[in-house]
Amino acid sequence: MVNYGGDEVSALVLDIGTSTTRAGYAGDDTPKAIIPTCYGFKKDPSAEEDVSMSEAGQENDASPKKDKIITYVGNNGPTIWHDGMEIAHPVRDGLIEDFSPIPALIGHAFRDIMRCEPKEHPIFVTEPAWNTAANRERMAEIMFEEFEVPAFYIANTGVLNAFAAGKGSALVIDIGHDTASVTPVIDGFVLRKGLVHSALPQLVRAHAHHHLTSQNSARPGIQLLPHQLIASKMPVEPAVPPNFTLRSDRESGTTETFRKWYEDREVEEWIQGVAGVLDQGWNEQFAAQRGARHYEFPTGYNYYFGAERYLVGEQYFSHSPQLVASNPNLPKTIPNLITQSLSACDPDLRQVLMGNVVLTGGGSLFAGLSERLSNELARNFAHVKIHAPGNPTERRYGGWLGGSILASLGTFHQLWISREEWQEHGKKIVAQRCK
Amino acid sequence: MSSGVGVAQSVLDTFQELKIGKKHKYIIFGLSADNTEIVVSKTNTDTNYETFLAELPENECRWAIYDLEYNKGEGIRNKLLFITWSPDDAKIKQKMLFASSKEALRRSLVGIATEIQGTDYSEVAYESVLEKATRQTH
Repeated sequence: MVNYGGDEVSALVLDIGTSTTRAGYAGDDTPKAIIPTCYGFKKDPSAEEDVSMSEAGQENDASPKKDKIITYVGNNGPTIWHDGMEIAHPVRDGLIEDFSPIPALIGHAFRDIMRCEPKEHPIFVTEPAWNTAANRERMAEIMFEEFEVPAFYIANTGVLNAFAAGKGSALVIDIGHDTASVTPVIDGFVLRKGLVHSALPQLVRAHAHHHLTSQNSARPGIQLLPHQLIASKMPVEPAVPPNFTLRSDRESGTTETFRKWYEDREVEEWIQGVAGVLDQGWNEQFAAQRGARHYEFPTGYNYYFGAERYLVGEQYFSHSPQLVASNPNLPKTIPNLITQSLSACDPDLRQVLMGNVVLTGGGSLFAGLSERLSNELARNFAHVKIHAPGNPTERRYGGWLGGSILASLGTFHQLWISREEWQEHGKKIVAQRCK
Repeated sequence: MSSGVGVAQSVLDTFQELKIGKKHKYIIFGLSADNTEIVVSKTNTDTNYETFLAELPENECRWAIYDLEYNKGEGIRNKLLFITWSPDDAKIKQKMLFASSKEALRRSLVGIATEIQGTDYSEVAYESVLEKATRQTH
């Protein structure tokens, strides 16, 4: 019985996010495989079976029936241009909406990148706190039936992030690629009524996209084109119109979904490169004093971005009255999400939660965000303490890391759902075991 | 979700000694060397709160039971505090282990009046602890 002393479980940990899917070994401090969750696909023009074009597992057959569809997954998947390739995003609002490419993504991460066989390892999967029962059961089914794993567990990232910060009770603010969420956790359980999330990061990118592509008094609108569509370019001085030639051969084969995807990526990279938020609220003078930052786009166009680079971050904290008037369904700002979450919680718990705020998610690494958040919260609450790991990997992969530690524990053995249990009890065991 | 870590019998016995027998002022709990069981790491009869605080390491997690005695004008009262000590500088693996094992310990100890989650010394200072213990009505 006391056989699980040694931490030799060799479990796998899988965290499927909106932007990237993270996979690795339990006990490691970073995932081994980090691949985009989005994937490319197109109808096979030859329609004949032509397996010879497969390049080291990057192309997997998603649906062997009817129309032959070629899918492109992994780090050399959607990023490589193909004639007529469409880009699809299986995750929406943090939830897996389309399960059809999921086995291909998982298989690619484990078999092609990690070179391991999931059949031989227990697998620990993460989920957002608002995941549905049907969704987690489907995930268990994929793992047991398609990958034939010996054991399975699924846990929500809200609790994992709270635990990884050493807290049984915490208010977890998770800012991802598309979704920002606030999850109250009390004694290791999510307080469902206080769980809120919004598509705020998407709004931030949409705002930045609009801002970059519109002209202002100082510069023209900027063309967002990826390097995949550019044949050649000449170096130009800052703020001078770019000098480049497009790959005309690719013009007709570039789909609308590919265009949307790369524009979003160009905006995201610009945001990560130069955008930020002021720590004390918007003030044009302060923003100008911070100095300009240089950024070069794939077209060769380059520019010193001044105060405008701080305008983008304001969207996380406040929306302009015009914007609110024009769109009543605007994603809630971070302070609004927090207020909404707290108002649904018992007043006794609010102080505990605000004293234990955990900031996580790759989006929370946005320059200046944690400082601004702590200033905003300090203004409205008496005892606020924000825990934000300084180490960017801990922040970006917080949920994965929490799962990695938990799944590596010998004592955790007794909690896994084994293959035998799955076969005996079926889907209902998932909700019983993974609370 | 829990780590599956168990609670040693000595933990329950020592807790009874404090609660019923008043043999200790405080108990400090930790994890066994192989991380499979919660064990008693220290007991003391010293009534000076500062002595207790000095037992909480700067960069390691612990749990503690403290028998708080106070007089707010209605005579001497006693309350049992359950303190979770998880300093920011502790290793992430330890934080995860302690946070996911806490419920097992907490459930086995009956008669706790107040729970305190501490990540730095100000959160477990005497005034702050006294304030929390006397604010709650239950």
